[in-house]
Amino acid sequence: MAEKILEVKDLVVEFKTDRGKITAVNGVNFEVYKGKTLGIVGESGSGKSVTALSIMRLIPNPPGRVTGGEILYRGQNVLDIPLDDMRTIRGNKIAMIFQEPMTSLNPVFTVGNQIEEVLELHQKNLSKQERTDKAIEMLRLVGIPSPEKRVQEYPHQLSGGMRQRVMIAMSLACEPDILIADEPTTALDVTIQAQILELMKKLQDEMGMGIIMITHDLGVVAETCDDVAVMYCGQIVEQADVKTLFGHPRHPYTKGLIESIPSFDSTTGGEKGRLPTIEGMVPSLFELPQGCNFQNRCAFATEKCKGPHGEPKLEAIGSGQMVRCFHPLS
Amino acid sequence: MASNQQTSKSLWGHAWDSLVSDKLTVVCMSIVFFYALVALLSATGLIVSDWSKEVGPSYAPPSSEYLFGLDIFGRSVFAKTVKATEIAMSVGLVTGILTVIIGVTLGSISGYYGGKIDEFLVWFYTTVSSVPYIMLLISIAFIVGKGILAVYLSLGLTSWTGLFRLIRGEFIRHKDREYVQAATAIGGGDFRKIFKHILPNVFHIVIINFSLQFQFAIKSEVILSYLGLGVQGVPSWGTMINDAKLELARGNWWQLAAATAAMLVVVLAFNILGDALRDALDPKLKGK
Amino acid sequence: MSLSAYVIRRLFYVIPVILGVCFLIFIIFNVVSPDPTISMLGKHATKAQVLELREALGLNRPLYMQYVDTVKSALTFDFGRSWSTKQEISEMIKQGAIPSITVTFPAFFLSFIISVALSLFVAFYRGGMLDKSIVFVCVALMSISSLVYILVGQWFFAFKLGLFEISGYEEGFPYFIPYVMLPIVITVILGVGPDVRFYRTVMLDEIYQDYVRTARSKGLGEKTIMFKHVLKNAMVSIITYVVLRIPFLILGSLLIESFFGIPGLGGITLKAVNSSDFPVIKAMAVLSGIATIIFNVITDVLYVVVDPRVKLE
Repeated sequence: MAEKILEVKDLVVEFKTDRGKITAVNGVNFEVYKGKTLGIVGESGSGKSVTALSIMRLIPNPPGRVTGGEILYRGQNVLDIPLDDMRTIRGNKIAMIFQEPMTSLNPVFTVGNQIEEVLELHQKNLSKQERTDKAIEMLRLVGIPSPEKRVQEYPHQLSGGMRQRVMIAMSLACEPDILIADEPTTALDVTIQAQILELMKKLQDEMGMGIIMITHDLGVVAETCDDVAVMYCGQIVEQADVKTLFGHPRHPYTKGLIESIPSFDSTTGGEKGRLPTIEGMVPSLFELPQGCNFQNRCAFATEKCKGPHGEPKLEAIGSGQMVRCFHPLS
Repeated sequence: MASNQQTSKSLWGHAWDSLVSDKLTVVCMSIVFFYALVALLSATGLIVSDWSKEVGPSYAPPSSEYLFGLDIFGRSVFAKTVKATEIAMSVGLVTGILTVIIGVTLGSISGYYGGKIDEFLVWFYTTVSSVPYIMLLISIAFIVGKGILAVYLSLGLTSWTGLFRLIRGEFIRHKDREYVQAATAIGGGDFRKIFKHILPNVFHIVIINFSLQFQFAIKSEVILSYLGLGVQGVPSWGTMINDAKLELARGNWWQLAAATAAMLVVVLAFNILGDALRDALDPKLKGK
Repeated sequence: MSLSAYVIRRLFYVIPVILGVCFLIFIIFNVVSPDPTISMLGKHATKAQVLELREALGLNRPLYMQYVDTVKSALTFDFGRSWSTKQEISEMIKQGAIPSITVTFPAFFLSFIISVALSLFVAFYRGGMLDKSIVFVCVALMSISSLVYILVGQWFFAFKLGLFEISGYEEGFPYFIPYVMLPIVITVILGVGPDVRFYRTVMLDEIYQDYVRTARSKGLGEKTIMFKHVLKNAMVSIITYVVLRIPFLILGSLLIESFFGIPGLGGITLKAVNSSDFPVIKAMAVLSGIATIIFNVITDVLYVVVDPRVKLE
C-alpha cells in the first residue's frame, strides 16, 4: 500500500447566507496516497470544490466556515495550525490549480515572475538567477515551447491551454506532496483537455505527488483516477477504486452518471440513441428532504428512502467499496 | 415567507428586499421621503408661507424663541431653511430628470445604432466633457440669466455625460444578446427593442445615477449661488451659505450651520441610498 | 502597432474634438450670449457707443471669422487682450499658473498618498467596523458643500486661531507658504472623500478576482497580496483616474483661489466671469478643454503602458 499523505475525517463546512445556514459539505471522509489520484465527482453544488478549498483553508470566511472534522496532512490537522504556518504548506506541500486559467493568473505580472514568486516564498535558499532558471525549467517540464522567451510574457499572451500549463508549472515548482486540481480542464477545448490530463499523469509519475482531481466529468475520472468519491448534496454517496466504480456501480446516482457519458456505441448506431439522463433536479441545500437526498430522482426509491428511518449511511459493501443507499444495486 | 414566492422573485424584488433589510438604508429612504414631503408642503403654501416676515431683531442668535436665530432682516432662519428645501428638492428632481432624459436618449441611440450616428454622438460627448464642468455651468447660466431656470438648465445640460457613457456601453453589450435577437426574430421594431427589451435591463443604472445626480445638483446649487448665478427671491441653502461669508466674521454662524446641516442630512441620505441601490441592483457587485 | 504609431493615431482623433470644443465655446460666447457691450457700457449707453465698442471688440466681423479666430487662438495660444485689464491674456496665464500650482501640486500629491494609503487600509479590513466607519466619514465629508469648508476653515483656523493667513499671496519661495497652507489642507479634505471611495471600489473589485485566490494558494500572505498583486492591478485604474486631474492643477480652483485671494488662474477666471470679460473666459475654457483632451490621450497611452492586457489595435 502506498504511503497515506492526507486524510479527511468527517469534514463539515457551513455557509451563512441571507436565507439561513447551509451545510455545503456534510461529513466527508477520504484519503489521499502518494503517487495516486483521487477523483471527487459531482454536479455543481455537490460540495466538491468547497471540500478542495477547505484542505487549502481557502474557504472565504465569512460566509463559509469549517465547523467539524479534521484534515490530517501527514498526521497533522491543518485546521488547527496557525495561519502563518499554513502559508508554508500552501503552494509548497499542498498546491492547487483552478478551473479558470484565463483569470487565475495575475494579468500584470509575467508568468516567470509568478512562478518565481512561489520559489521565493518557499525555497529561500535560491538566488534570483536560480529562481529564474527554475522557472524556465518548470515551463519546459510542462511542455511550453521556447520557455526562455515565454517566461517574460504576460498571461494574456498565452492561450488557455498554455496558461493552464503555467498554472501547473507554478503549482509544481516546489514539488508538493499533494496537487489539488479543481476542474482543471473544464474551460479548455477537448483536445487540449486530453493533453493537460496526460501532462498531469506524466508529472505525477515523475514527481510522485498525490492528486485530488475535482471534476464533474466521469470521462476525466476514468482517464486519470485511481480511486473515486462521488458527491451529492455535500455527502459522499459512493466510493471505490475506479475499476470497481465503473464496472459495478452500486448507487443509482453513480449508475446514472456513468450511463449519461456519451460513448461511441450510443452515437454510431443506426438510429440516434438517446443518452439517458438523470431525471429531476438537485434539491436545494436549503430544503434537503427527509431521508435520502437522492429520493426525488431515484427510480428505485421506496417508502424507506423518504425518511422514517433517517438518512442512509455510507457503508462498506464488497471489498473497498462504500455506498450510501438503502437499496444498493446488485 | 413562502418558499415558492421567493424563487419567483425578480431582480427588483430581491433588490427591494435587500434595501429594506438594511436599517441605514431605510432611515435614508425615510429622510428623503420626509424632505420631499416638506418641499411639497412648502410649495403648496401649507407651511412656512410667512418665511419672509420680520419676526424680531436683525441677527438675533438662536434662542428658545428663535429656534435657529434670525437673519439680517430679522427673518426666521428656521423658516428659511425649511422653505429652501423646496428649491433643493426641485433642483435635484428637475436636473435629475433632465439628465436622465438626455443621457438615456443619446446613450441608447448611440449604443443601439452604432455607426455614423454613434461616432457623432461620441464626438459630441467628448467635446462637452472636455470643457470643464464649471465653465459650462457658468456659460449656460450666463446665457439663460440668473434664476432658478438657469440653475435647472445649467446643471441638467451639463451632467448627462456620465450617464450617456454608461448607457451607451450597456446598450452595446446588450444589443447582440439572445433576448434582443429573439425580439428581432418575432418582428420587434427598433423602438420596441430599445424601450421594451433593452432599457428595462439597464434601468438600474438610471436609478443609481438619478440618486447620485440628485445630491450632486443640491451641492452644485451652492456653487452657482456663490458665483452669483443662483436662485433669486426665495431662500436656498446655497444663498444662505453664501450669505455667511459676510456674517461669519461677525460671529453669526447660525444661518450657515442651519443650511449646512439641512443639506448634509439629505445629501448624505442620497449618497448612502445611491450606494445601497448599486449594491442591490448591480448584479456584477452582487455577493460582495 | 508600435506605441509611437498609436500615439500619433490617437492624436489624430484629437483634431475633431478640439474643433468641437472651440465650436462649443464659440456658440456660447459669440452667438448665444447676451451682448457683452451692455454690461460693459451700462444700460444708458447710446447706440453709437455700442456700435463703436462692438467694432473695437471685433464683434461685427462675420461669425465664421469669429469661429476661425477661436480655433486660431486655441492653436497659437494667442488669446488677445483682456477687455477689462487690457493685459495680454497669454501673459496673464503665465503669471497665474504659478500661484495655482503652488496650491494644487502639494494638495494633489498629499491627497493621492493619503487616499491610496487609506483605501488600501479599508480594503484590507473590508467589511469590518473600521471599513464601514471610514467609508461613512468619507461620504459625510462629501456631503458638505465645498464652500462650507472654505468659509469655516478661513474663519476658524485663520481668523479665530490665527494659524494661517486669512487671504493674500506673496510670490517666491518660501514667502507663499503661509498663504497656501490652508488652501492645501482644504483641497486635500475635499479630495480624500471621493478618492478613497473610488480607490476602495477599485481595490475590492480586484480582491475578488481569481488571481487573488491563486496567490493565496501559493502561500502568499494577505499583506503581500494586497500591496503587490492587488495594488499593481488597481494602479491601472487609479493612474488613469489621477492623470485626468493634472490639467486642473494648472487651472487651479475657482472657489479656493478667489476666497483666499490667490492670484492663480482660477481666481482670474472668476474675476473675468464677474466682469463679463469674454476673451479671458474663452481663453480659460479653450485652454482647459485642450488640456483635458491632451491628458485624455496621455491617459490612454499610459493605460497601454501600465496594463499589459491592453492591445494596440
